[in-house]
Formats: sequence, C-alpha cells, structure tokens
Amino acid sequence: MENDGRRKFLGVCLAGATAAAAVAAGYPVIRYLGPRSSETSAEKLVFTASDLPEGEAKFFEYAGASAVIVKTKTGELVALSAVCTHLGCIVQWVKEKQHFLCPCHAGEFATDGSVLSGPPPRPLAKIPLTLTEGKVTIG
Amino acid sequence: MFKRLYRWLDLRIGAGQIVEKELTGYLLPRNINEWYSLGSVLLVIFALQVVTGMLLMVYYVPDADKAFQSVTFIMNEVPYGWLIRLCHAVGSNMMVAVLILHMLSTMIMGSYKSPRELNWVTGFILLTLVQAISLTGYLAPWSQLSFWATTVATNSASAIPVIGPYLVEFLRGGKLVGPPTLGRFFALHVAILPVVIAALIGAHLFFLKRTGVSTPPFGVDETDKPFKPESYSYQSHPGGIPFFPNYALQDLTSIFIYFAIFLAVVFFAPNMPFTPDSFVPADPFKTPAHIKPEWYFLANYQTLKIFPSELLGLSVQAIAMTFLALLPFIDRSPERHPMKRPLFLVCTAAGILLWIGLTVWGHFS
Repeated sequence: MENDGRRKFLGVCLAGATAAAAVAAGYPVIRYLGPRSSETSAEKLVFTASDLPEGEAKFFEYAGASAVIVKTKTGELVALSAVCTHLGCIVQWVKEKQHFLCPCHAGEFATDGSVLSGPPPRPLAKIPLTLTEGKVTIG
Repeated sequence: MFKRLYRWLDLRIGAGQIVEKELTGYLLPRNINEWYSLGSVLLVIFALQVVTGMLLMVYYVPDADKAFQSVTFIMNEVPYGWLIRLCHAVGSNMMVAVLILHMLSTMIMGSYKSPRELNWVTGFILLTLVQAISLTGYLAPWSQLSFWATTVATNSASAIPVIGPYLVEFLRGGKLVGPPTLGRFFALHVAILPVVIAALIGAHLFFLKRTGVSTPPFGVDETDKPFKPESYSYQSHPGGIPFFPNYALQDLTSIFIYFAIFLAVVFFAPNMPFTPDSFVPADPFKTPAHIKPEWYFLANYQTLKIFPSELLGLSVQAIAMTFLALLPFIDRSPERHPMKRPLFLVCTAAGILLWIGLTVWGHFS
C-alpha cells in the first residue's frame, strides 16, 4: 500500500516534470513561429492627393493587410480595406463600372464599400483618412 | 485513460504483442553498459537537428545577397531565434563528438567484429555523412568564416590528379565559391543528406535488429554464444535484462546527461561554435587571416599542411579512412576484450593521441 502511494507520487512528479519540459521547449517554438507584432501595427501613410486621378484607385499595404484608396468621379477620396468580406480575396477596381469586383466569387462593392451584389456578407471596412494641404494621411 | 487507450489500440493492432516483442521481451546482455546508450543519444540529437533545421528554414533565405542578413534577423529579431540557431549550431558539433565516442566505444569493445561488419560500415558512412552535412551547413550563414572555410575545404579536392580541378568547379558550381555554391550546398544540407542519413540510420538499426545486440567483453555473461559463420543466427540473450524498463532508463539517463552538457554550452558558452569571422558577412575580395576549419576537421587540415605535397596529404588521409572503414575485415580475430588485444590497444591509443595532437597543432598553428 505504502509502495503504491510512492509509485503514484513518483508518477505524478514524472508527469509534472515532463509537462514542464514540454512547456519549456514548446513556448520558445510558439514564440518563434508567432506573427511579428511590428508587421501588423497600423502606421500612418501619406499620399499626395494629386497623384491619384479621378475615377482611379491605388492599392497599398496598411496594418499588414491590403487596402485601397479611390478618388471617385465626384472628387471624393475613400480609403477601404481591399480584403473581400466573403472569403478574404483581394478585390479589384473596375474603372469602367466604377466599383470593386472580387475575382474569387464575383462579389461587387460600391466605392463607399457597400455590397452591390454577390456573396459578401458585410461592406468593405473603411479606413480613416484626412486631407490637409493636398496631402492624404491614411490611418 | 492511458490504460483504456492502450486497450483500444491493443484490440486493433496487437500493441501488447509489439510491446512484449520489442520492449519488455527484448532482452539485452546482463552486463550491458552505459556506452551502449550512445546510439539512442545520437538518435535524439539527429531528431533535434531535423526539428531545429526545419524551424530555421522558416526565416532563412538561401540567397547569397540575403543569407547573412536572414541569419542576423533570426539571431537578433525573431523571438527565441537565437535559441533555435544555437541549438542547431551547437547540436551539429555535439553530434560529431558523440558519434566519435560511439565509434570509439564500439572499437574498444570489439563490437564491430563478425557478424557485425555491416553495422560498422554503415556507422562509418554515417560519420562521413555527418561531417558532410556539417560542412555544407557551415556555408549557410554566408559569413566570412563560412565563405573562406568552404573555399579552403573545396579547394583541397584540387589535389586529386586529373579530375581534381574539374571536381572543385563541380562542387562549387563555378570557378570560385559564390551564389551557385550556396544553392547546391543548401540543397545537399536540407534535402539530400538528411534523407540519406535517415535511410542509413534505418539500415544501421535494421542490422542491429537482425544480428542482435553484442555482449560487452567485460564482466561475465552467461548468455554469450560465439557466432558461427555456417548459418544465420540472431544473437539472443535469454536470461538477460529487458530493454523496457531497465535499459530504457539507462538510455534516458544518458540523454539527460547529454542535454545537461548541450544546454550548458547553449546558455553559458554560446560563442563556442563561432569565431569573430562568423559575425562578418562574406566578402569574396578579402580573405581573413588564420581561417581555420571546425575542430573535427583540424587534424585533416594540419595533415595537409605537414606534407609537402597536397596529394600526399590527401592520400595519407584516404588510406587512414579506408583502413578505419574496413577495420572489421582487417582485424578478424574473435577476441574482443581490449586487454587481450595489446596490438589493437596500442594502435588505437596511438591513433587517438595522433588525432588529438594534430587537432591541437592545427588549432595553434
């Protein structure tokens, strides 16, 4: 009986030591493989407004993901996430129709990001922008 | 829960039968010693090298313009990147050291003798392959040390008559060490050599399973039956100790001792595998002074320096390596106790001293 207790105690100690060793070895590996925080931080981006003609769109990377800024035919500037809300493909700018088309499943978005047709469940996320002295600041 | 899982597996695949045959019923000589566990230690080291190597490939870029930068990034920017890289660099040195110890213990205990010639030969090829994988990995960081050590190492092949110069160019993928060398060394290091090494480890273990574990020449073993070359027979050890739990515990002890030494180097002497030239990016126009190979190549390096002709130096090394590879076919006496083999013992001691002497000389020359 006493022997059984000792055996159980040693078993628990061994299991504990093994678990501790697994954590000690696993933690650095998870940290090593984890995404780098600096790459996902949102930094401000500055464009010259005149670089973008009316009716055109410009794609760029923002906060570690694809984004787009579009100047509508009325001269309004809109910055949106370029990631389709359906399955994460990158939308394309269709200049002729002045809207965004997702090439994966034909989802269509208006220049304000709202869904025009197709499977996307939500509008494209808007990114704040400010326009001062001809400079567009994203973020 | 483990018992239920075991029972579930046992019902389906006969796990109990495997455990009985390979673990609890796998009997080893009663006088087996700790030196027999070095093979298990080497398996653990190899597994660790594979895992850390795979992790390094996540960030390493095998491009001459980016390799050094990517290694610096791993060391300084990636969380715990320094740990993964140090484990890989220190592990490669440790693997060579433990392999040498494993071979020495096999030599001293005469375990290479008939019927275990194939175990010896596969083990010897593994030693050369481990040296080759270390050499090819050495170039990967694309540092001054990597670049010039590879230049010197590949250049020694030029001493081979007729094909030498072509062989050097073939190895380098060009006249000099350059981006093509990194490409082919990287392919050898991460794809070709690991697969060949894994296959040879498989063959080595297969031969071990087919011939059975040798009985140490020390102590009394009532189960020893001398090998008779008339027909195949597995050397069993009835009345011996079971592999599990008895010898598995010894294996585990040796693995823990290894880890204690290995981690002590990783944490307290992390610069051991490096020289100042390892921290400078490769410059093909500037050879650093006193470029030296890794410690396990220092004896070869010094031998090449001693002989007036490089061909002579290479030939002497080739003869020594061939002699060692064919040892079981040269030393055919069945006696395995080292004290009853005075000539062997003197030659082995002289060989070890010569190797150590050349290594120390090479280090300080």
